[in-house]
Amino acid sequence: MLKRLSLVFAVLVLMAIAGCSKPPEAEMQASQTAIDQARAAEAEQYVPDVFRIAADTLNAANAAKQEQDSKFALFRSYGKSKEMFIRAKALADNAATEAAAEKERVRVQVEGLITQAQAAIDSANAALAKAPKGKGNKAEIELIKNDLTTLGAQFEEAKNNFTAGKYLVARSKVEAVMQKANGIINEITMAAAKKK
Amino acid sequence: MKLSGKLKLSLLLITGFILLFAGCQDPPIGSLERAKYALNQAGKSGALRYSEKTYREAEELMKAGWMEMARQNGRFAPFRDYKAADSILNLAITTAQKATTDAQTQIQNLQALTKAEREELYNDLLEWREALNGALTKFRAEHYWNSGELAYKTSEKLMMNGEYEEAREVIAEGKESLKKMGAILADYDNDEATKIHIWRRWVKETLDDSKNSGGYAVIVDKSKHKTYLIQAGKVIHTYDCDLGYNSAHQKMFSGDGATPEGKYIVSEVKTNGRSKYYKALLINYPNATDKKRFQENKSRGIISGRARIGGLIEIHGEGGRGRDWTEGCIALTNKEMDHITKYIGIGTPITIVRRSNNWP
Repeated sequence: MLKRLSLVFAVLVLMAIAGCSKPPEAEMQASQTAIDQARAAEAEQYVPDVFRIAADTLNAANAAKQEQDSKFALFRSYGKSKEMFIRAKALADNAATEAAAEKERVRVQVEGLITQAQAAIDSANAALAKAPKGKGNKAEIELIKNDLTTLGAQFEEAKNNFTAGKYLVARSKVEAVMQKANGIINEITMAAAKKK
Repeated sequence: MKLSGKLKLSLLLITGFILLFAGCQDPPIGSLERAKYALNQAGKSGALRYSEKTYREAEELMKAGWMEMARQNGRFAPFRDYKAADSILNLAITTAQKATTDAQTQIQNLQALTKAEREELYNDLLEWREALNGALTKFRAEHYWNSGELAYKTSEKLMMNGEYEEAREVIAEGKESLKKMGAILADYDNDEATKIHIWRRWVKETLDDSKNSGGYAVIVDKSKHKTYLIQAGKVIHTYDCDLGYNSAHQKMFSGDGATPEGKYIVSEVKTNGRSKYYKALLINYPNATDKKRFQENKSRGIISGRARIGGLIEIHGEGGRGRDWTEGCIALTNKEMDHITKYIGIGTPITIVRRSNNWP
């Protein structure tokens, strides 16, 4: 009798051990951290679709874990949720990387525009310096100087926006500066041609 | 009545099956998918930027509904109840839809507001330009007008990139520039209002002196761009003239491009070959009043301590360009110089006023 009881007890203990798998806490924590980092990297703004997939995978992993948590201990199995947490982390890491790449792409693009705008302003200044000066065109030269001063102020503002990471705002302002600077160069060229 | 063991077992099984299937509800997968879709739409509509609080609420509700659904999934089938999960997910859907609507409304309002403000700035720019009739430089106001124009163009680019709030800030800066320009013009008007009686008096004195002596004199009205040749108190000839490129102001220092205002005399007559601009009548600028005003302006810090008062103000040739281009001189055509120099010599009074309506 005692032998039989011991056997039943042993079977029950084995079942309990086999059924009670541990929740994937470490994987869950890692994937949550990864999604927070992706959010901090502005993945929601720069790569919204990629971020959405990562976030939904994390939600699904949490749901899978919750489902197992709600089961009777003997029947819990966290294998699927663990796998999903690992996948969610990889997707979140990818979202952060892609966001950084996209941000960098915009940054490089705006940086290029800033260089072009600086060149346009320099050209306008050079053209102004070369423009034939005399009593007759002093007023026009003063006007263009004023224009370039205004332009310089706006350009500084755009550069400040760029430094602050407001790339899209900086881009709009730099584009306007370039347009105006090129207009001034044309104006000087036309005035010089007329003088000839 | 006594039931047999087999019957008892069958009844127990039937009851078990009924319980099992009656308790089995379908999980609200459809609601979850709709919540995901609504949230996705909200994100695409700009809710993250323009209705972030509501968007985050919807996001949390979706997660909570999803978790509740998972919790019920984990329960023994007869005890599952998805009502709460479905209800939370439906709330997530309506909240996400609200985030979309709020964002769209906010964007539409901002678009309309920015557009209206841009139009206002554009109209202001046009009005100023028309009102000043191309004379912006005369008031040293071109810089402000340019700032306004650049703000208008920049705001267009910002609007195109969906940066409405930034566009509105730029428009406000543009309007501020025009406001500063308005203030400059108001100062100018006030200056005129206080000085008009002085200019009238100068004109009257010049005319009276000419009348009394029967001699010649010259009066320059800067606002009209006219030079009047006077004999015995009467205008005998009128010439159009070009002035300094800042002609609307009293001359303050060398290089300011303003034509001086005051009572002068011809100090030298330069014949052709002795003047850079055909022939010239040099006037005695700066006179005592000019020197006094210059020192006062320096000591009050209105002009730089290093500024020079300047000189060499002439009525000279090569004018007739139809615009103000000189450093402060009065330019007539060469033909008109030939004409005026027949009557004018050293000592002839030259009175220059910004404007006057005090004619005989």
